[in-house]
Amino acid sequence: MKELDVRGLSCPMPLMHTKKALEGDPSKIRVHADSGTAKANVVALLKDSGYEVSIEESDEEYRITGTRA
Amino acid sequence: MGKRRMVGPTAWILGGAGLFIGAVAAWLVSQGNPGNMGLCIACFLRDITGFFVGGTTGQGAVAYIRPEIIGIILGALGAAILTREFRPRGGSNPLLRFVLGFIFMTSALIFLGCTVRAWLRLGGGDLNALWGILGIVAGVVVGIVFLKRGFNLGRAKNIAKPLGWLLPTLAIVLLVFALVSAFGTKPDFATQTAEGAFSTGDKPPAVFLKTDGQISQVLKPVGATLAADGSIVGADGAIAASAESVTKAKPQPGGKRASLWISLAAGLAVGVVAQRSRFCSIGGIRDAVLVKRYDLLFGVVGLLIGATVVNILLGQYNLGFVGQPVAHTDALGNFASMAVATFAAMLLGGCPFRQVIMGSEGDADSFVAVAGMLVGAGFTHWAGIASSAKGLAPLAWPALGVMAAILVAVALLKRTRTA
Repeated sequence: MKELDVRGLSCPMPLMHTKKALEGDPSKIRVHADSGTAKANVVALLKDSGYEVSIEESDEEYRITGTRA
Repeated sequence: MGKRRMVGPTAWILGGAGLFIGAVAAWLVSQGNPGNMGLCIACFLRDITGFFVGGTTGQGAVAYIRPEIIGIILGALGAAILTREFRPRGGSNPLLRFVLGFIFMTSALIFLGCTVRAWLRLGGGDLNALWGILGIVAGVVVGIVFLKRGFNLGRAKNIAKPLGWLLPTLAIVLLVFALVSAFGTKPDFATQTAEGAFSTGDKPPAVFLKTDGQISQVLKPVGATLAADGSIVGADGAIAASAESVTKAKPQPGGKRASLWISLAAGLAVGVVAQRSRFCSIGGIRDAVLVKRYDLLFGVVGLLIGATVVNILLGQYNLGFVGQPVAHTDALGNFASMAVATFAAMLLGGCPFRQVIMGSEGDADSFVAVAGMLVGAGFTHWAGIASSAKGLAPLAWPALGVMAAILVAVALLKRTRTA
């Protein structure tokens, strides 16, 4: 599984990093984000790229998991 | 890699949000806001600065606490709290973010509007805005070059909870001042442009109110009166403004405003929509070029369509270059000022609208950027760098050159590994 941490990064870096990570076409990817904007952008990118997405939310972060549908 | 869907549901949400914000902005003009300035983050923050320090900075014509800004902050705050997206964070180079906010504002006041107003101006038929939008594209492209080279200001962290409340607290303070000034007595230190005031092009300008097209009260110079020949004569008997300049007097932007409650309510609605949709006035072009994502682009296209349609319906649409409200016709100046402003916004990670929204979600770094914009507005007017309808000030080009150099230096020097 591909895992990356975009916490604390300004736009558009969460999107840039996630897009780069998707280049290897991982069957599963996990992204750690901490702002609503980064979460929304990453989730939309994963869904549009054909992943099923689940989000776990804690006080510190959103843990976004994408699994190849 | 699998096939990527080009237009997902978020694109339509952003398109709808843009339509709504553009329509509200155009409608606010019909309610009294300045032409093509139903909403303008830079102009409205500048007006707020004028209220507090306008006497010192020479902002008599642009001094008013714009309730739209208060509404946007409180609306976004409410939406963020309800969706558990209010998260205090900060520490990603606040000092440079202050400088970037300052530079954004100075450039925007040379253009006469922020990156949001550039689209709204086009939506009102102001073709000078096309040069500004070309400037936005140029600023985005330059910003992308540095983002690809690894530019970033470092990671923000979770911070002490009270620091997340800086911008919402400012909004409450502004609300108190706005209510006191509207329904009580304006504090002595403050400056507030009289509602509906006109000013002449003289130095210093003569300022007056009109009722039914006739001058009903002369406000400045103090003690001046209207003479029989239509000129304004000072208390000392000297002519303060000739009859000709009185006829040519223009409304002061700060005196053009929708009622407080309408502005506040519109701001609240726009704040909620912007927080939920993540609308950004530069991110659309940025994401399209940089990551081939088109969601955000639907936002600005929606904004443009919404503003255009409502302006046409309300009879406010005026296609052309000359005589546009709060605008000048200096094509190169319009292009360069928006390019510099957009480059600054690219380094901040979003347009000034986004900075206000993120500041309302607990982002202390965005609060600092907004603070830089407020201080920058005061400086720009005090130093005589801001443009007028006549065109660029003599200091505008040197200022743009210095600011562009600072931005390039920041963009070159700030590179931190994040992945």
